[in-house]
Amino acid sequence: MFTGINHLALVGDLMQQMCVYLVVAYLLSKTPLFAPLMQVTVRLPDKLVCYFVFSGFCIMGTYLGFQIEGAIANTRAIGAVLGGLLGGPLVGLAVGLTGGLHRYSLGGFSASACAVSTITEGIIGGYVHFYLLRRHQAARLLSPMIAFGTTLVAELAQMSIILLMAKPSDQAARLVAQITLPMVLTNSFGAAMFMRLILDRRETREKYSIAFSAKALRIAERSVGVLMQGFNEQNCTRMATIIQEETGVGAVAITDCEKLLGFVGVGADHHLPGTPIASPHTFYAITHNEVVYADGAAVPYCCSVSKDCKLGSCLVIPLRGEENRVFGTIKLYEPTSKFFSSLNRTLGEGIARLLSNQVLAGKIEEQKRLLAQSEIKLLQAQINPHFLFNALNTLAAVIRRDPEAARHLVHYLSTFFRKSLKRVGNDATLKDEIEHVDAYLCIELARFADRLNVEITIADELLGLRLPAFSLQPIVENAIKYGISQMLEPGKITISAQLENKLLTVFVEDSAGLYQPRPDSDGLGMSLVDRRIKLRYGAAFGVDVTCQPECFTRVSICLPVEEELVPC
Amino acid sequence: MLTTLIIDDEAPSREELKALLAAEPDVEILGECANAFEGLAAIHRLRPDVVFLDIQMPRVSGLEMVGMIESSALPHIVFVTAYDEHALKAFEEHATDYLLKPIDPQRLAKTLNWLRAGAHPALKAYPGSTNALRQIPCIGRNRIFLLGLDAVEFVHTDIAGVQVVGVKQQGTTELTLKLLQERTPLVRCHRQYLVNIDQIAEIALLENGAAEILTHSGKCVPVSRRYLREMKDRLLIA
Repeated sequence: MFTGINHLALVGDLMQQMCVYLVVAYLLSKTPLFAPLMQVTVRLPDKLVCYFVFSGFCIMGTYLGFQIEGAIANTRAIGAVLGGLLGGPLVGLAVGLTGGLHRYSLGGFSASACAVSTITEGIIGGYVHFYLLRRHQAARLLSPMIAFGTTLVAELAQMSIILLMAKPSDQAARLVAQITLPMVLTNSFGAAMFMRLILDRRETREKYSIAFSAKALRIAERSVGVLMQGFNEQNCTRMATIIQEETGVGAVAITDCEKLLGFVGVGADHHLPGTPIASPHTFYAITHNEVVYADGAAVPYCCSVSKDCKLGSCLVIPLRGEENRVFGTIKLYEPTSKFFSSLNRTLGEGIARLLSNQVLAGKIEEQKRLLAQSEIKLLQAQINPHFLFNALNTLAAVIRRDPEAARHLVHYLSTFFRKSLKRVGNDATLKDEIEHVDAYLCIELARFADRLNVEITIADELLGLRLPAFSLQPIVENAIKYGISQMLEPGKITISAQLENKLLTVFVEDSAGLYQPRPDSDGLGMSLVDRRIKLRYGAAFGVDVTCQPECFTRVSICLPVEEELVPC
Repeated sequence: MLTTLIIDDEAPSREELKALLAAEPDVEILGECANAFEGLAAIHRLRPDVVFLDIQMPRVSGLEMVGMIESSALPHIVFVTAYDEHALKAFEEHATDYLLKPIDPQRLAKTLNWLRAGAHPALKAYPGSTNALRQIPCIGRNRIFLLGLDAVEFVHTDIAGVQVVGVKQQGTTELTLKLLQERTPLVRCHRQYLVNIDQIAEIALLENGAAEILTHSGKCVPVSRRYLREMKDRLLIA
């Protein structure tokens, strides 16, 4: 009976001890020292941290224990077992050794038995680690039940070792009878609690990062391309709406370097898009290219527009463009009544980067478009003077011989120029392109007289298809310039087209077969056509040349067809 | 009386110039040619005083063609062009006469006056005209072609004219041996032969002091005593 009460009292005492032990563990779990313990790693630095932390707990367990019959009832086993469980056999052995030697140094009749048993406990933990890893069940290492079971077994092993090793044996038997139940219970329970602590810590962290990534991803997904269409009031307001909805902050504003472009949320009644920037924080962020956080306490925040504004804190993040230059800011606000969450603070900087990249991408797109436009201009300007003067020269001769034919030539020439100069749009139908080419070829036919033959065979239903304006004429002009006009005997130009699998291919073939790649200047027309098509439809399309020397050169212009066939 | 030749690949262009020249009583048109190949032959055959020469022509341009005319047969050249920035700049620098298409009759009259007065600038050196030739215009059986110098084994004269013998093809050219010797790396090895050094496989020395070249493709080229020494020097054979 007496021993029973004694047991219960000992369980209570040990439990109290363990509470202190766990509080220390809890406090430690707030430090970065704990991070490596939250996952099973093989990295040496992590293993070292594991060793030091659990050796510390081992020693602490010994000191927190109390004397019973010249021995120490303690919670040392938790450190050794968990060290082995989380760090593996080697760490387990090392922790066991450290804790065991420390216990040995304190003396008592069970000193050597306790030392050996602590080492054994570390090895048992390590073995379980090894076993679970082998069976690819690393996740179960962090299970409190496993920790409980392992510690239970380890403690029972310790009791056996004390019985076997400690002398005198009767004293050992008495001791074991007294401490077995309290120590086995407390240690197993403590190990499980400790593990639970680690798990909780890990889950909180994961929850935080899951919430963070989910938010970030949703914002990224919803905002795709919004600012690419231009950094203006309309798009900024759309963007601000998305950000405000997703982050749940009080209000979101986007500014350029001078004025407010978009404002959504609390205070939208007086923060009006289009008004100049008034906030000193924003000016500071722009001029210093720095993130400014006015929490309303340490850094005062006060709305610079209205005294009645409910907003109480503000985060201003500069938007950076090329060469890290600030081109605007994004501002997140919370009302006075609400706390600015650190999640949103971190997220804010990510959003700013997202926005910056979008604007930058938009600018690049814009530049590409401008380039394509200026290239059309270039193609137009390419109406080469050589062609013009030769045409006029031909005309001079034809006027003398056949005024009627000359009148036709003048007509073709004016058609050609009108079509060359008029087109400002990006697109043209195949019919337009053929007419343009036709006017061009009629003049060349007169110029080269019997040296040139032309055959154009294009099915009527293809004439309505659209392609970038000015795609065909430069190719035909090349065929004349580098093909037919270089032939000593009469030559032929054949123009045809086909539509297959929504792919339009226009062929321009000359019978000269004199094509040579001209990387520098003269092939300009052709390479511009190629670049424009690639820019617009992708690298799989464009201009391709096949040449059979002295036989033919065939240029194909290939591009996807977007719309349905419309009879023309 | 001025005898002229018109060389232009565009028929209407020739027609127009012909019509303009026809108005001049003292100008005789000896002929017209549609390319440089015909042009060279006609110049050598007809020996005109003046050649109206188009620049843009198939395969061999007017500028290249000038470099192929034997200097003793070089007539007054009047370049005719529609538009050629680079050439025009060079013409200005060298005071070379040129006409722009469409031809201004008054400008043509000025040229003709210079020619009649003997004040027309003689074409001494137009940059590019004296440059080394890269290919030789040839007339083979039923076809006209340009033979790259690398492919030429040797060139020789016979009754029919100047024969160009290539690895795979051969033909007659309007260019003279003298001009080819001056403007190409071909080496004189005989009074009637030029040989491409790179095509020589071996030289067999004969008893009479002459020699015989065997080309890579196995053709024989005679080397006369007079040119053997030069050949040896050229090949660094003592």
